Amino acid sequence: MTEPRPPEGEGPAPAATSVVIAFRLNGRRVETLAPVRLTAAELLRDQLGLTGTKVSCGIQVCGACTVLVDGAPASSCCLLAVDLDGTEVVTVEGLAQGRELHPVQEAFAAANALQCGYCTPGFVMMTVALLAADPRPDRAAVREWLDGNLCRCTGYAPIETAVILAAERTAP
Amino acid sequence: MGVLPELGLVRSDDLGRVLASVDAEHVPYAGGTELVPAMGLGLRRPAAVVDLKRVEALGRIAVDADAGAVEIGAAVTHRRIAEHPGVRRHLPVLARAAGRVGNARVRSTGTIGGNLCFAEPRSDLACVLIALQATSEVRSGRGARTLAVDELVIGAFETSLSADEILVSVTVPFEPAGMSYWKLQSYERPTLGVAVVVTEDRWEITVGAAVERPVRTVLAAGDSAGLDDFAAGLDIGADLCGPAEYKRSVLREHLRTVLETAP
Repeated sequence: MTEPRPPEGEGPAPAATSVVIAFRLNGRRVETLAPVRLTAAELLRDQLGLTGTKVSCGIQVCGACTVLVDGAPASSCCLLAVDLDGTEVVTVEGLAQGRELHPVQEAFAAANALQCGYCTPGFVMMTVALLAADPRPDRAAVREWLDGNLCRCTGYAPIETAVILAAERTAP
Repeated sequence: MGVLPELGLVRSDDLGRVLASVDAEHVPYAGGTELVPAMGLGLRRPAAVVDLKRVEALGRIAVDADAGAVEIGAAVTHRRIAEHPGVRRHLPVLARAAGRVGNARVRSTGTIGGNLCFAEPRSDLACVLIALQATSEVRSGRGARTLAVDELVIGAFETSLSADEILVSVTVPFEPAGMSYWKLQSYERPTLGVAVVVTEDRWEITVGAAVERPVRTVLAAGDSAGLDDFAAGLDIGADLCGPAEYKRSVLREHLRTVLETAP
């Protein structure tokens, strides 16, 4: 706290430059002191060592930094780490069970839906979110959902195929 | 290191405390969709952000059947608007537009209030809300006022809010029959957005995205010459998505399709 606290209910609330946050990360509880200036991507990558989440555009248009916050996809590059407080966060590291890949990861590998792989964690996380909401999307729905994710090497057709394949393998 | 400079956070679930905290250096903050990139680029340098997300009143959606309107709290996300049964029933065009804003990540964090208060010209919601003649409730420590969304968003990246005011909610009248919203979009934001309400004797047209702020006009049904004049008179801007004449041509063709060839 950088300012003295005024009487309850009066005057401006004090501004803090760091906040203790607690959240669940890939099923495990994390409690940490987060500077307000820290983005969620910086917290995950630089402080917690989970470098599967990639940072690219920094302005929420490329999707490389996608993580799930309470099940919804979010751009961790533009999310303040303090906003993770009280949430359930899943990163690409949280998908596999031991050495067994998640069905979406399996499908991306099977469909050759990656080349350099930098964008892949973001596409995978977006796909996990899509299939949770819509287990049997058609190709148009896949395209619309992923139109905010950029791949600069493979092209999008194999990615679309991977999503459809993952849906076929996992839909109830 | 890090993309953002030193930054403070004010967080309270009490609207009074929030209002007492907001000023030019302590800025309202919800999804961060626009503000965080703006801070990262050095375009905004507030001392602190004042988090609105824990104030319950700002997160509500309330359908008022008697008044024939839906009140949407400023901190409600695009995703919640798109999925809310009451919004989908009474404001289907708005629900669909909210469900197509930006991308799925923007929709799960970005809010209706942030969208309006950032006043980016290429906004779907501003166009639809102005077409519906929605009103906004604005508050500060000094009091409350209600104004049309048309009076809130006054220019490109410009609102009529004072530094100590926040948008609390938007009240949207139920959509009339004969309403549509269409957009031309290649990238993250629309190049052109057109909301139209067709009644037996009137054409109500609101154009957004290609202009600095949405422009609404009402013509007598069948007034094709008025339509020509309206399209020709708009101050349409050129950008990487195309020259002004291209956008004007697409607009005129769309209006022809939805109005002049309508059954």
